[in-house]
Amino acid sequence: MKQPIVLLLAAVVLLPFVVRPAIASEIWIFAIFGLGLNLLLGYTGLLSFGQSTFFGSAAYVAGWLLKHYGINTLLALGIGIGVGAASAAVVGYLCVQRSGLYFIMLTFALNQLFYFTAYQWTSVTGGEDGMPGVPRPAMLGIDFKDPLIYYAFVSALFLITLFLMKRIVESPLGKILQAIRENEVRAEAVGYNAPRFKLLAFVIGGAFSGLAGVLYAMLFGIVPLEAISFVFSGNVVFATLIGGSGSLYGPVIGSFVFIWLSESMSTVWARWPLLLGVAFVIVVLFLRGGVVEAWHKVSLRFFK
Amino acid sequence: MLLETKEITKSFGALTAVNGVCLAVEAGTLHSIIGPNGAGKTTLFNLLTGTFPPTSGRIIFDQRDITGTPANRIAHLGLARSYQRTTVFPAFSLFDNVWVAAFATGPSWKGLLWKSANTYAEVAGRARQALADVGLIDKSHQLAREISHGEQRQLELAIALAAAPRVLLLDEPAAGLSPEETRRMVALVRSLKGRYTIVLIEHKMDIIMSVSDRISVMHFGSLIAEGTPGEIQKNPDVRRAYLGGVAA
Amino acid sequence: MLYALMGLGLSLITGILNIPNFAHGALFAVGAYLLATVAVAIGNFWIALVVAPIGVALLGLAIEYAGIRRLYAAGHDYQLLFTFGLALILSEAIILIWGPIGYSHLPPDILRGGMDLGFTMYPKYRLFLMVAAGLLVVATWLFLEKTRYGAIMRAGIENKEMVSLLGIDIHKLFTVAFALGAYLAGIAGALTAPIRGLNPGMGVDMLGIAFVVVALGGLGNLLGAIAAGLIIGVAQALVAAYWTEASTVVIYAVMAAILLVRPQGLFGIR
Repeated sequence: MKQPIVLLLAAVVLLPFVVRPAIASEIWIFAIFGLGLNLLLGYTGLLSFGQSTFFGSAAYVAGWLLKHYGINTLLALGIGIGVGAASAAVVGYLCVQRSGLYFIMLTFALNQLFYFTAYQWTSVTGGEDGMPGVPRPAMLGIDFKDPLIYYAFVSALFLITLFLMKRIVESPLGKILQAIRENEVRAEAVGYNAPRFKLLAFVIGGAFSGLAGVLYAMLFGIVPLEAISFVFSGNVVFATLIGGSGSLYGPVIGSFVFIWLSESMSTVWARWPLLLGVAFVIVVLFLRGGVVEAWHKVSLRFFK
Repeated sequence: MLLETKEITKSFGALTAVNGVCLAVEAGTLHSIIGPNGAGKTTLFNLLTGTFPPTSGRIIFDQRDITGTPANRIAHLGLARSYQRTTVFPAFSLFDNVWVAAFATGPSWKGLLWKSANTYAEVAGRARQALADVGLIDKSHQLAREISHGEQRQLELAIALAAAPRVLLLDEPAAGLSPEETRRMVALVRSLKGRYTIVLIEHKMDIIMSVSDRISVMHFGSLIAEGTPGEIQKNPDVRRAYLGGVAA
Repeated sequence: MLYALMGLGLSLITGILNIPNFAHGALFAVGAYLLATVAVAIGNFWIALVVAPIGVALLGLAIEYAGIRRLYAAGHDYQLLFTFGLALILSEAIILIWGPIGYSHLPPDILRGGMDLGFTMYPKYRLFLMVAAGLLVVATWLFLEKTRYGAIMRAGIENKEMVSLLGIDIHKLFTVAFALGAYLAGIAGALTAPIRGLNPGMGVDMLGIAFVVVALGGLGNLLGAIAAGLIIGVAQALVAAYWTEASTVVIYAVMAAILLVRPQGLFGIR
């Protein structure tokens, strides 16, 4: 399995020469976000449609502390992860009791709860205008103001999180979560407390989302309201599905596709979400299984 | 007595599926439960495995009252079950199917999140043993959804074995099997006798009579007879219950 | 009352088709915009009120036929993505056609101004809204309870296989159910246009509330959806009287609290 790693490392190194460092950073940040979601979606079979809850909450909290209390980067990251995990624990606890449509709707509704709280609490979050002025403090003497240096930091973190996620999905937990996805009743019969494991998946996914959220806030210097909106939740679901939820690297590929799509479309047309919607529809109707599966099929035919 | 139920009853509203059933299974024996369709046998199993709690009555396992234990704790107590309708993990390989069952009841969950799943030697050993016992070891790497129905029934059993339980609850292991496959399943069950305490639900009388140490007969949720195969065969109540059903 | 209407429509769709319909809010918005356009074009509010929801229903028919039909076996993720994509398309299309700034549409003369209720002056249109929505809910309820086709729909919620075994075309049932749900969303939107005004984001807000209603009322539990819709509507009005900004948040918070205690919702069966 060495090949993907080599490809990824090459991508990490070469990317800032192909696109602006800020966009490159955004891609890896979104990939981290997607990895977190995929633990729930691909591995546990839980379609969590409210991941932006954890992403956005972490971004707001860390952003607030960074802006008003001048905490350092490391602490900001830690808090982001913590907030992401904690909010996921709360949401997860409420949601794992239900399954199927109920579950999806609940994650969405709770996302809305956080969204409207952020929308109304303008004194803290700035409401519709977002929370600008998030600094990017130096860490260990390294100044992150240079986009390229920040990119190196972000991509390094991405590689670390990818490694962590790889360990997790190859661990017994990974197998147990997949067993729950395959046959929850049997998984319970065999001795696993399914709701508790689902909650654990939530918390881990939330931690990853939280990390992505803080990095995002620091990247753009602002926490926009969109970061906690359901549209954002939908974007990461789309990215994960188009990359292929069945593999570890799916969300990474999906992140590339999505960010490339949205960045190229948004500069051309203010109404680009319409095209995004069309893209969603096309993927669903014609491209199920995502890019990874399509690639599998193609490579099977060519390399057999 | 390793496993007992005392006056166990389960009602779903107006329907009483299991009515005051007393079961007593001695360690190391094979105790069968028979009865026409709808007699409540699978519901009784569901009670034993904690799928739902009884309306009244008690379940005693190894002198301990385990009534009301939830389904996901039952395996840890030492009871494992196979199902009448094949319910495995379709996208998993056969090995992973049994591995996941073996890990649950393994000695320790240390490293749950970070140790590679391949490094649990004891678990892998039990998993391989379970597959070997049912004769599927050569197909360990095939996916569960790709093997034949008969092999899936064997896998069904292997998942229960992988937990290294003390009691095996087998719900119609021969369901849907061809005569040849049934013969193999019977030989398999017989090979498990003595190593495990087995409670068996089956419809095929020849199997029941040839492997059982004791038989309980259920009808409309109640126990109507209990005894050795010989006694049951001669029992007039049993004969009457089976008129029109599967005859001995 | 409005919430009951939206909840009923969504409950119908999710109950019968078993898909997450994220486009429900967008259908609401389309209804509102269609009403405004038709009313202005024809100059008659009442005709527009009849026509606009039918337009939405037709849109629903098209959606079900062209897309959703293919996705019944696909699993919730893809259904969600599809309806979500649809919602995006619709809301962006609204902006495209009608412009990004919301605008207000005045109610017809008869319904303008207030009515003296004895203890307070109450806006006539609001009364009309309540009555109209209430009548619609009752009418839909009667249709579902009393007519043969309504009974078939309710049976479809309970057990799809049985219904198809009974020889009823399950696909047609799904199409009609979706169209009906769309109609209800559309007319809810059309009725709202004069008071709340029109803005492209109205669909999203409504979607969340519709989901809350269905979650509390129980998926597919039509009576529950109506009841939950009423309860939430009243609750929000009460909260808005004291703490306007928090009224939306409170709805969700209350939902979370209820589900914590009763995971099956107020009226759910499980």
